[in-house]
Amino acid sequence: MLPVFWIAAIVAIVSTVMVITRANAIHALLYLIVSLLAVAVMFMVLGAPFVAMLEIIVYAGAIMVLFVFVIMLLNLGPKGVEQERRWLKGGVWGGPCVLTFILLVEVGVMLSRSGIAESPAIVPVPPKEVGIALFGPYLIGVQLAGILLLGGLVAAYHIGRPEPRDEEKPT
Amino acid sequence: MDYTDLTALAPLIVTAFVAVLIVVVLSVRRVHRVVLGVTLVGLVLAGLSIMLAVPLAPRQVTVLLIIDSYSLFYFGLLLAAAVVVSLLAFSYLEQRRENREEFYVLLVIATVGAMVLVASNHFVSLFLGLEVLSIGIYGLIAYLRNTPFAVEAGIKYLILAGASSAFLVFGMALIYGQTGSMQFGAMAAKLSGDVHLGLVLPGLALMVTGVGFKLAVVPFHLWTPEVYQGAPTPVTAFIATVSKGGMLALLLRFFTEFEALDLGPILLAFALIAIASMLAGNLLALLENNVKRLLAYSSIAHVGYVLVAMLAGGGLAAEAVTFYLVAYFVSTLAAFGVVTVLSDRDREAEQIEDYRGLFWRRPWLAALLTVSLLSLAGIPLTAGFLGKFYVIAAGVGAAQWALVIVLVAGSAIGLFYYLRWVVVMFGQLPTSEAQWSWPRPQALWGGAGLALAALAVSILWLGVYPAHLSGLIQACIPG
Repeated sequence: MLPVFWIAAIVAIVSTVMVITRANAIHALLYLIVSLLAVAVMFMVLGAPFVAMLEIIVYAGAIMVLFVFVIMLLNLGPKGVEQERRWLKGGVWGGPCVLTFILLVEVGVMLSRSGIAESPAIVPVPPKEVGIALFGPYLIGVQLAGILLLGGLVAAYHIGRPEPRDEEKPT
Repeated sequence: MDYTDLTALAPLIVTAFVAVLIVVVLSVRRVHRVVLGVTLVGLVLAGLSIMLAVPLAPRQVTVLLIIDSYSLFYFGLLLAAAVVVSLLAFSYLEQRRENREEFYVLLVIATVGAMVLVASNHFVSLFLGLEVLSIGIYGLIAYLRNTPFAVEAGIKYLILAGASSAFLVFGMALIYGQTGSMQFGAMAAKLSGDVHLGLVLPGLALMVTGVGFKLAVVPFHLWTPEVYQGAPTPVTAFIATVSKGGMLALLLRFFTEFEALDLGPILLAFALIAIASMLAGNLLALLENNVKRLLAYSSIAHVGYVLVAMLAGGGLAAEAVTFYLVAYFVSTLAAFGVVTVLSDRDREAEQIEDYRGLFWRRPWLAALLTVSLLSLAGIPLTAGFLGKFYVIAAGVGAAQWALVIVLVAGSAIGLFYYLRWVVVMFGQLPTSEAQWSWPRPQALWGGAGLALAALAVSILWLGVYPAHLSGLIQACIPG
């Protein structure tokens, strides 16, 4: 399994370097998605398939798609269409595609070898164990994360609230 | 988790509950006074619930939190600081057009974060506490969102705190990789058996970056003046006290756990940071005419002083750090408190010229500000003097001569800018009518007046008769 890990690690580093060096936000985001997928493959090699799936669902899925949508929605209209066409020209998506293809081959190799963890040192951690750890010894951590989200929500609500129209004090 | 665990956690649970309760009250009706009342009663109840936890200490609650007399002492200190800040914030917010009530939610949430920080002896609770503290502070800094300076300061803090958290997590990951544990005690035990430190030193170096940012020590201090100036003054007081105090308390616990280990390079790094902070903080403050920036630079120097005591090690170190922090809390809160009550709805009283002749117009406020500045400067008969005395005693006891010499030199430089501010207050009244009219004579709200009076009494009381506090600290902190 070691070569699979190293290849995924190299893909992660290359794509992250590309994220930093791209001038265009959309191109950077495409590479960021690849970087997150590579990290997911690494988690899988290390015997944490559940974390790998979360990485894909939460980061590469929900958060990144939200990013891409927001950036694309900011440029509506004919000018935006023209810009999007330019973004999707060949070569732009080539790099991310090649990197993702490498990862796909890796996952294929892993699946064909029946079972992820071949080395006895690696014990896969199933979702059930993650859940037991979270709601056992780390219960306070889960609750603190809840307070963290409440704080973020209240701060975002206050700062993003529309301006009151009149000069009166809002009560 | 059983009933005893919950009782031991009562101060944290009550404080977190207050934040939720305020949100519920807000959804029914927005009344500023009611929200302030809920906050104050809740924080005081949380403070009283420390008494429930005292007989149970020390107790490890799950793997994440340790409730011992040390963390209970800091709970009390942080809750008291939060009460003072909310009293100061009331009249300040009352003049503003913003929605005022969310302020208290964020304030209480940030306090919860600081409390988790002082009770944590595990990387997970350290990180979560730090993030809860930070997210409350982001919202608080940018609270007056119509002032461009506040939003700029908030964004600056958001980006820098995010970057420093990344350093912190990376450092934790390296240490976890080497030791296989995230609990301080288990890590130290593992390392004392294992001669080879391996990745622990690079990990600690990365963690120093993250911690240094929160403490605003040189060379991680660049955000401090802008954020202190841009944030609303009560929030600045909160950042200078609760945020820094929580982090310093955690650092002290970490150092105590790892004391047996030979972490030479890390101690050297902290010694250099302490020297640089004491010198740079005091020298940069000399040139400042903006009092919020001046206090920002002076707070950098004060963290440097605390680090001197921390590096001294031994039983006296913990006592010295804690006493110094209490003295620093009361003095800083008093200084920012006066700046807060002098600010009006149009501008903050942040230029040193605003204080010209203050003594002849607002004698009580000027006297209080003088006392707090003298305490920050470390003049005898104030809390700051005894704090500094403790720190120097700890430094001399450990024969840290270089650090002690820089500390004395830094304090001498510090005297200049604190006294300059005092001299301005006792100076001639401005002659022109325009200058006369500001700060506008406005009545001091009773709650803020009470908080300021309590701070003044504590500064003098601790300076004249420190036996109570030092006895309490000795009882709480195992030497």
